[in-house]
Amino acid sequence: MTAIERRTGPARRLEWQRAKVRQVVVETSRVKSLLLQINGWQGHLPGQHVDIRLTAKDGYQAQRSYSIASPSEDEIVTLTVERVENGEVSPYLVEELRCGDQFELRGPIGGYFVWTIAIGGPLCLISAGSGIAPFMAMLRHRDRRNSRVPTVLLYSSRSLEDAIYRKELDAMARSDSDLRVVGTLTRIQPEGWAGYRRRIDKPMLADACFPLDRNPRIYVCGPTSFVEDVSSFLIDLGHDARTIKTERFGPTGG
Amino acid sequence: MDVPPISRGFSSRRREQGLADRIPPGQYVTTDFPVLSAGPTPQINLEEWTFALQLNGWVLGEWKWAEFQGLPQTTIKTDIHCVTKWSKLDTIWQGVSFDDLLKAVDLGEAPFPYIMAHCDGGYTTNLPVVDLIGSKGMIATRYDGSLIPPAHGGPARLLVPHLYFWKSAKWVRRLRFMEDDEHGFWESFGYHKHGDPWKEQRYDGD
Amino acid sequence: MPENDLDFVLDGNAAAGALQEIFVADVTTALIQCDACGSVGALGSLPFYAARMGVVLRCTDCAAILLRAVRTPHGRWLEMRGAHCLRFALA
Repeated sequence: MTAIERRTGPARRLEWQRAKVRQVVVETSRVKSLLLQINGWQGHLPGQHVDIRLTAKDGYQAQRSYSIASPSEDEIVTLTVERVENGEVSPYLVEELRCGDQFELRGPIGGYFVWTIAIGGPLCLISAGSGIAPFMAMLRHRDRRNSRVPTVLLYSSRSLEDAIYRKELDAMARSDSDLRVVGTLTRIQPEGWAGYRRRIDKPMLADACFPLDRNPRIYVCGPTSFVEDVSSFLIDLGHDARTIKTERFGPTGG
Repeated sequence: MDVPPISRGFSSRRREQGLADRIPPGQYVTTDFPVLSAGPTPQINLEEWTFALQLNGWVLGEWKWAEFQGLPQTTIKTDIHCVTKWSKLDTIWQGVSFDDLLKAVDLGEAPFPYIMAHCDGGYTTNLPVVDLIGSKGMIATRYDGSLIPPAHGGPARLLVPHLYFWKSAKWVRRLRFMEDDEHGFWESFGYHKHGDPWKEQRYDGD
Repeated sequence: MPENDLDFVLDGNAAAGALQEIFVADVTTALIQCDACGSVGALGSLPFYAARMGVVLRCTDCAAILLRAVRTPHGRWLEMRGAHCLRFALA
């Protein structure tokens, strides 16, 4: 039995636990990663998420869900949060929260949108914006285990500056011939950008994703309209709906 | 039971702004207009849209869109309160009041004491008629001067602002008079039958 | 502001925390069959409406309600009349 299998264990009730901020990492002008210490954390599978709950002095509470961006191999749990305009929770997490602060958290949650090396590949990950977060857990896990599962990540971002984890992804891809990282920048592209310059569409998916005869496992994550568009493109291209797993992020994450 | 830790520096944007007598207990003011739906936004064709008052098998009155616009219009400015704890102040709505609907079908008063609102998409909510008459309820078609956007219930929604906003049913198509009270989508499933925010009647059992 | 009203709709993944208060096991991996149209899919993939009032999960194909759950101070409610069945994998 591997460490991951031991850690997930039998079903149990989700309890609210306390998370303490150990470190805050600036990813982009709008995005930060929060590195959390949670006493008694039982581990997680890449792709799972947590619910967090904030309580104000007057008792007001707000609850949101965030994907875990760290691999199952880490003790520290990382959440990557994008500040949403006029959001209620994300501006607090991105602008106000400091090391040493605490909030409530429960998880890990969700066994549906999960990938581990045991599931195998080829693996095709397709994301828009902060939808890339659960894929970082998967890729970091794959990297830690030195897995050679053939993998492609196709990510969509408004600009290079907004592309979260770009340097880490470039480094991973450079040293791993079985990992391809393909970006499309939909609004602004820098001089000399050789990647795609438009929203993800059918031809791009046909080029970037593994062909049908490789029978890839496909995961799609981002805003609901993105996920639904990409899913129907993939099905039009002939992929079996059962090989496609989706997770819709939405404005309730604001 | 553990007291939840206070999140240092976190406060709701929905701060009470010294308007305590306008904000029911447990509510927080927002300047947003959150969208909450129990199902997908129906795509409604105005050419095919009708609104009806119904009594058992009888249609007391039925109006197409243009006919409905020809009924007496009322404009109100009011506060609205959602059971999920947000309140929005000074919202402006225009539509046909329930009182004017009764007049339009030549009724001096409602034939039965209860109403069930039926909506595109299948949503329902129940109300006593006393909560609709006397300018308390309308079928609204405009919000803030413009046609109500589909996500907010357009082309027409029930508007009963003195009760929690789940009673202001989006995409309303008919009001059915009932002799006995029946319970709608949320009222039959954990939520309060009446829903008065000033008595904090959120849930069944409150 | 989301560019698209559709972006307000999440999926059963996001309801997993609320559902795990009722079903101690993670129900989002179960396959669920719509009683109205027969369509089968993972519960985690279903469109999820009415977040904050409760959980309403609808069939991806025909939009029939497959599951509703509400949590109140007086108890938890669950109905699954629209589902023909759930199928869980053995652990």
